[in-house]
Amino acid sequence: MLTPTHAEIIAIAPELILTITAGLVLVIEAFLPGLRRYLSGLTMLAIAGAIWARLSLELPGAVWAGMLQVDQLTAFVDTYILIAAFFAVWMAGPFMRRTAAECGEFYALILFATVGSMVMACSVNLLTIFLGLELLSIPLYVLNAFFRRHEASVEAGLKYFVVGAFASGFVAYGMALLYGASASTNLVEIGRQVVELGSLSPLTAVGFAMVFGGLAFKLALVPCHAWAPDVYQGSPTPVTAFLSVVPKGAALIVLLRMVEGMDLLQVSPRWVLAASVIAVASQTLGNVVAIVQRDIKRMLAYSGIAHMGYALVAVIVAGTDGGAAVLVYLAAYTVMNMGAFACVAQLSEREDRPHLINDLSGQGYNRPVAALALTISLFALSGIPPFIGFTAKFVVFRAAINEGFVWLAVIGVINSLISVFYYVRVIYVLYMRPLPDRQPDYGFNLPICAAASAAALGTLLLGIYPSAILAAAQSAILCLAR
Amino acid sequence: MSDYLLSIVLLSPTAFAILLLPIPRRWKKVHRVITLIASLIMFAISCRLWTSFDANDPGFQLDIGRIPWIPQFGITYHVALDGISLLLVLLTTLLLPVVVLAAWSFNIEHIKSLHISLLLLTTGMIGTFVSLDLFLFYIFWEITLIPMYFIVGVWGGPRRIYAAVKFFIFTMAGSVFMLVAILYLAWFHHQQTGIWSYSYLDFLQTAPLLPTTGGLFAPGLLIFAAFFLAFAIKVPIFPLHTWLPDAHVEAPTTGSVLLAGVLLKMGTYGLLRFNRALLPDAWEFFAPLLMVLAVIGIIYGALVAMVQPDVKKLVAYSSVSHLGFVVLGLAAGTQASTQGAILQMVNHGLTTGALFLLVGMLYERTYTRLIERYGGLAGVMPIFTGIFLVVTLGSIGLPGLNGFVGEFLILAGSWAVHPVAVVFAGLGIILSAVYMLWMVQRVFWGPVDITANYALPDINLREVFVVAPLMVLIVWIGIHPNTFLEPMEASVRLLLAR
Repeated sequence: MLTPTHAEIIAIAPELILTITAGLVLVIEAFLPGLRRYLSGLTMLAIAGAIWARLSLELPGAVWAGMLQVDQLTAFVDTYILIAAFFAVWMAGPFMRRTAAECGEFYALILFATVGSMVMACSVNLLTIFLGLELLSIPLYVLNAFFRRHEASVEAGLKYFVVGAFASGFVAYGMALLYGASASTNLVEIGRQVVELGSLSPLTAVGFAMVFGGLAFKLALVPCHAWAPDVYQGSPTPVTAFLSVVPKGAALIVLLRMVEGMDLLQVSPRWVLAASVIAVASQTLGNVVAIVQRDIKRMLAYSGIAHMGYALVAVIVAGTDGGAAVLVYLAAYTVMNMGAFACVAQLSEREDRPHLINDLSGQGYNRPVAALALTISLFALSGIPPFIGFTAKFVVFRAAINEGFVWLAVIGVINSLISVFYYVRVIYVLYMRPLPDRQPDYGFNLPICAAASAAALGTLLLGIYPSAILAAAQSAILCLAR
Repeated sequence: MSDYLLSIVLLSPTAFAILLLPIPRRWKKVHRVITLIASLIMFAISCRLWTSFDANDPGFQLDIGRIPWIPQFGITYHVALDGISLLLVLLTTLLLPVVVLAAWSFNIEHIKSLHISLLLLTTGMIGTFVSLDLFLFYIFWEITLIPMYFIVGVWGGPRRIYAAVKFFIFTMAGSVFMLVAILYLAWFHHQQTGIWSYSYLDFLQTAPLLPTTGGLFAPGLLIFAAFFLAFAIKVPIFPLHTWLPDAHVEAPTTGSVLLAGVLLKMGTYGLLRFNRALLPDAWEFFAPLLMVLAVIGIIYGALVAMVQPDVKKLVAYSSVSHLGFVVLGLAAGTQASTQGAILQMVNHGLTTGALFLLVGMLYERTYTRLIERYGGLAGVMPIFTGIFLVVTLGSIGLPGLNGFVGEFLILAGSWAVHPVAVVFAGLGIILSAVYMLWMVQRVFWGPVDITANYALPDINLREVFVVAPLMVLIVWIGIHPNTFLEPMEASVRLLLAR
């Protein structure tokens, strides 16, 4: 048996920290349940430690027999995955306490899912990608159904499980075909063969299409989006926040690695066409259907479908511009969405009831901090400057125009315009409607409010000074260069 | 130090808005006083800008150079003034203290948020006029949407939500295409020079090279159309004007004054600064269309204004007509007509701003804006009537007051280009006299029909202070327009030479 080298241990130090903490959390839960209320703090500490480890330890490149590629790209992706997990746990602590559902398994599952997505993000091998995907998905099925006495939550868990299992099957079958076509499980090798051939062989094409189909489920792209609204609505809000960002981020990076490795922009016009159609359909369907939603979580689900449509545009463009745009978009989407969901968690009365937008009437003056944070997050999601959401869209459309996809950019901006309708409507309800006679009892929760404010502040500051994150994304994407 | 004055004027409103954030909202007076002081300081600084401005230099002044902002894309923070933007910055900073003072008696909720919105709006408006980087310009352009949405939507009249959303969506609809156009220009600049830049000065070199021949879908024409749509909605030019009456009427007085006084000028300024200067060939192509739309706007706005039963709506439609003159002057594109158009932008900001303020004062006294609910006010409020009459005469272009100078320059300058358009536009002047004077007649002359109106108090000292600066300028421009025409002459000449 091979003993791992020092560099290989260093390379997976953040994953190790999280896994060990997860084990520790389970042990504490089993033997010292009195310490339960410190578990969220411990988990946050571990995630912060993992971020520190990823950013300060060296990045050795290819490790574990070339299965994992730990470089600046990994560091960038891991950082926003970990930040998303941090925010999810930040709001989960008080949230689970309030709903009397707190227990250690919750945090352990979040940590395992986080590790899974990190493995997915740094894998350049089909096997580890699949392992990561499963490690991410299986804890999420449980997390979705965590309120096991709420019908909606159980329904969400079951729905995500059935759809997720189906998607995993797709991915696994597609991977088998890719392996059959290239006799390798290494993405770099598969990509090299495709580029050499100059076109997609039928077997590779079918294999890639199936993997893409499976990832499209995770990304909630049209036509694989139907699960999203129900799952978003039914899951506990911190889980929804996690679910809306982390799996999508990881799946999109895998997709970007494959597209970039095979140079599909040049090799396969068919892919470009198909992906463009899917991107446009996702944007349009997501934005149009979001307009008629009455539940804010469902609305954010459809908005998420649309946002992945924008991100897919950047994946199509690929290259250094498009790749950097994908990274910036995902980072921006993480911050905005975390802010929005933290506000939803704060401004919700009972978890098993719908989170109606109309219930927010007049809360702008009653709960000024949470309402302002929600306003900022929604303006950012709709792509209005000076928030990071605008910068992200700017970067994506810029990449599209530079590669000659002006029409994709035009459709993208038209869709942003449509999206303004429903985001701004929430703000109208917050500030321009009188308080209803029966005011919902939202209580006040300092940690959740703090999480929302931190995310909103990040949205604003990153929007005003996007240069640092852009520089990081650009140097990260150079690691993908062929 | 004086080089940084422009950035100080631009960013200090935001700084003051942040200062207001921690102050408790019960302390309404504190918010009002701080905002008033802030606005007076900014007005003082912009007067300082005016005095240090060199009228003989046609280029951009008070320039502190390009400060890298997003160096990866060549995006910079770059602000400077030329003669055209100087006047508009002065107009903006003049109107801010006026509206703050006008809102003093505003007995409404959420005073704090109103003042924060006003300050943020000011940064957006000034930024639009002074940005020399198109990315920066776009950000300021869009930022104005958010505070204005709140001003109309929170403090507006009964149909405020409809008006606010309509304003937001209309403006946004135009500007998203402008974003694509800006990105395209940057890409084109990179194609031509190999350098990434969003600088206006760089685009001046490359944007005119965009091909404009080869059918309606030539890149130059499409880019022109994208910019034009954004600005035409803002101005608003005839078929795109439908958001304006709603927004103006529903907005509170503060909002109406800034909307009419400054926000509409962002559109005409953009037409001149970007469409005219960056795409001169396409401008040539579209100028006849612009002229036709301008004349339609002049006549249509005047005719619709004539039949309005609501004073505020009448003033709102008169804006469509007045802005038609500005667009006509720009479309004709001669030195005189362009200078007239720029002066008319300022004039319209002054007279329409003053009219909205006066109508707001009437509304505060009577809680109605219907012309039929007034009548005979001249006997009850003599001083108010006098002021209203002066402003009205300024608006319809009586020689000796400001409107005359602007309209005369526009018509005289356009005559050489298109006499027929001038004839029709002249008809618009007559119509404007008809609807304004008829309104004055019904509101102020005749017997007092409604007994409650006998008790109306005349204008008070604070209100005099509100309109006094505008009155002074209305007369000043009418008597000695050169004070304002001189600083822009060189800049306009340079711009038209391209």
